[in-house]
Amino acid sequence: MSHAIHTDGLAKTYGKTHALSSLSLSVPEGAIYALVGANGAGKTTLIKLLMNIIRPTTGHASILGVGSHALGGRHFERIGYVSENQELPEWMTVAFMLDYLRPFYPQWDRVLERQLIRQFDLPLSRKLKQLSRGMRMKAAFASALAYRPSLIVLDEPFSGLDPLVRDELIEGLLDRAPETTIFLSSHDLAEIESFASHVGFLEQGRLLFSEEMSVLSARFREITLTLDAPAALPSPTPSHWLQPEISGSVIRFVDSNFQEEATSAELARLFPAVRDISLEPLSLRSIFLAIARTDRSTSETAQADHQRTSA
Amino acid sequence: MKQVLHIFAKDSRRFWPEILISLAITAAFTWTYPGQWMHSSSSYGFNAVAGGAFYVLRAMVAATFLVLVPVSWWLLITRVIHAESLVGDRQFWLTRPYDWRNLFAAKVLFLLVYVGLPLFASQSLLLLLAGFHPLSWLGGLLFNLLLVAGILIIPLFALASVTSNFARMTLTLLGTLIALLAFALLASYISRGSASTPYEDRISLPLLVCFCVAAIVVQYAARQTWLSRLLLIAFPALLVVIGLITPSDTALIRRAYPRPSGPQDQIVQISFNSDSQRLASASAEPKAKNVLLNLPLRVSGVADGYAVTPNDVMVSIEAPNGAHWISPWQAIYAQNYLAGSQDSYVAVSISRAFYDQVRSLPVTLHLTFALTQTHAGKVTRVAMPAHRFSVPEFGVCTPEMAWDRSGFTGISCLAALRRPRLTYVSVLWSNDQPSDSSGPPDPNTSVQGAGWAGNLASDPAAFGITSVWNIPLAISNNINRADQGQPWQPRYLWPGTPLTFTQYNLVRRAQADLSIPAFTLPAYNRMRGHVSVAVIPHAVGR
Repeated sequence: MSHAIHTDGLAKTYGKTHALSSLSLSVPEGAIYALVGANGAGKTTLIKLLMNIIRPTTGHASILGVGSHALGGRHFERIGYVSENQELPEWMTVAFMLDYLRPFYPQWDRVLERQLIRQFDLPLSRKLKQLSRGMRMKAAFASALAYRPSLIVLDEPFSGLDPLVRDELIEGLLDRAPETTIFLSSHDLAEIESFASHVGFLEQGRLLFSEEMSVLSARFREITLTLDAPAALPSPTPSHWLQPEISGSVIRFVDSNFQEEATSAELARLFPAVRDISLEPLSLRSIFLAIARTDRSTSETAQADHQRTSA
Repeated sequence: MKQVLHIFAKDSRRFWPEILISLAITAAFTWTYPGQWMHSSSSYGFNAVAGGAFYVLRAMVAATFLVLVPVSWWLLITRVIHAESLVGDRQFWLTRPYDWRNLFAAKVLFLLVYVGLPLFASQSLLLLLAGFHPLSWLGGLLFNLLLVAGILIIPLFALASVTSNFARMTLTLLGTLIALLAFALLASYISRGSASTPYEDRISLPLLVCFCVAAIVVQYAARQTWLSRLLLIAFPALLVVIGLITPSDTALIRRAYPRPSGPQDQIVQISFNSDSQRLASASAEPKAKNVLLNLPLRVSGVADGYAVTPNDVMVSIEAPNGAHWISPWQAIYAQNYLAGSQDSYVAVSISRAFYDQVRSLPVTLHLTFALTQTHAGKVTRVAMPAHRFSVPEFGVCTPEMAWDRSGFTGISCLAALRRPRLTYVSVLWSNDQPSDSSGPPDPNTSVQGAGWAGNLASDPAAFGITSVWNIPLAISNNINRADQGQPWQPRYLWPGTPLTFTQYNLVRRAQADLSIPAFTLPAYNRMRGHVSVAVIPHAVGR
């Protein structure tokens, strides 16, 4: 499978701050890839590196087969980029912006442009600076979709928008999905859960995982075991058990490597006196919380160990 | 090319107010500047006081617009470059299919059309108004445009390309100007003398252009802002290094002005004129570290058809008690020696502490002159008309009417794009007001007058927002002081009087020496804001 985006050991540091640490990911063509993570996780840095707006400290990225360091000029005829903090030419009216941008793109589709104007209900004669945040975002979307780009890169596109505008934008985006690859960042898990095909989770500059949504959902389960009598957690606890906790005779954890038969066998082996097993699928939000908390707890433990060793 | 024109059209549409302001200022400058060419208050045709005030006002307005023209460029350049700012990571154009070469070309086109062309038009119109045909001066016009681009436009372009907004650009520009001022002050503080060497600075401007263009190209091609800024900072640093490794004025003058191999090689004889009515004198500002010593000279030995210009002088003083002092090279201004014997003077600056130390002793002064010899070339003779007239290869001149309209009491001249070649201008003054019939004045009541104008520079144009240069023409003997007790009377140039413009060309440069033994330094007068020279009754010389 060919990839619209591929990175290999991509890193960005600002002085002693590691904004992005040796990140390797691949976004298959045709995917709707959602990069999620808290504010400050490094999502915008990654996107700016991919778009050659800033340069990596180390590592390499390729976009539509072009090295990100060489990305520029005509390559952007195939890439649509919209960012929440992009400085638009606010002195232009919506119509002037579309008229101005049109000659830059040989594949600009006038029919699609008119369709997007109607769909987003864009006020053509108004200047961008006079538009609401939502309307500005719609104008930016229209100007980035009208030339049918092969790759659409969106940095927090729905941040701070009301649900109606958000739905309109998602609808406009999904209309284009069959013919393009979409890579978007968000810190709002709920908004991307419904349509993303792939997901990556960025935490403090590190990519904790990157995979297909269906695979991710399938391998995470919250497992609750009710035992006949109080028991202890097995030692060592399996590494794929996240946030294990015990309360009397009830053990609860998130299994990050759930496979029905293998998991059942493992539980039967570790807890022969189990009275009841409850398996609950997790929402995307719960998966991320489990991973993030485990990661933070592991980091803190490692840090404490390091300090003890140093002392 | 299509993209270049597309971006250019967008910028033209967006910045029409700034363009209009810049064009209006350039037009106002072009309209008001010729007011500076009117030298006589009576040219205005009403009373002298009102005419003078009007002239001053017009000159001030013209000077204001002269300053405002580059200020409007600063506004225009900053705005248009920042329209696609090269600093920052949020600009929408960064992720659009802009080819950097096209973007760069669009900005260059914008500056050509809205800065270069209006300036070219303004300069052409000024030439036309001054009496020069612009097409005849096309080479000079283009050369001046290159100078303006190199000194103003490209540096402003470079500063705009490494700043993100108007405020930062303004602060950077102010900082640059303050740094330049501090640098100039430091350089003048470090430099001991005021020598002028014949070596023109042919390095700084090409270097400035190279560094600025490199910074701009780096920004457009790769948006490496810090690298571009480093390039801009490296330029003054390199200039300092060049300044440090450049030979001193003494070495440069030694190289440019060789010592004569023998008496036959001397281009002029300079001696101390102990008989002069204008005896040696000295003066000093109250807190100045130097005393200005004026020495009367007798100059002879300049060959027929030649002229000698003293450019610099260096003085060494030896006292009988062994004390010794040597000055740096000092510039001499506005003096030229012609064939025949003539009186002249030289002013040298001497350390006040040393002056006070040897003041009462008979000292030996040794002066070394750096001289330029020129040879008379093309001569143009004109019977002065009563209106504007053209002098080929010199300029356009106008007889100046006296304030009471009693006659012409001088000539004012304009030159195209630079000062003219070094030219000796001689006239025939009349003590009398012109008669009704024009023609040369009566030789019995006529007095010869002369003056120098221009320089030996060879460039087709000198840097200027204006293309027309006022040429001051100070002609000697323009005042009749003959009658004791009577108020001084102006002398007149009659219409039809012969004017001679003799162009002088460089022959060679050389040094000449003058020793004045047993010289008693005169007491110096302490100046308080104005010059008052003490005449010393006895100066032992030769």
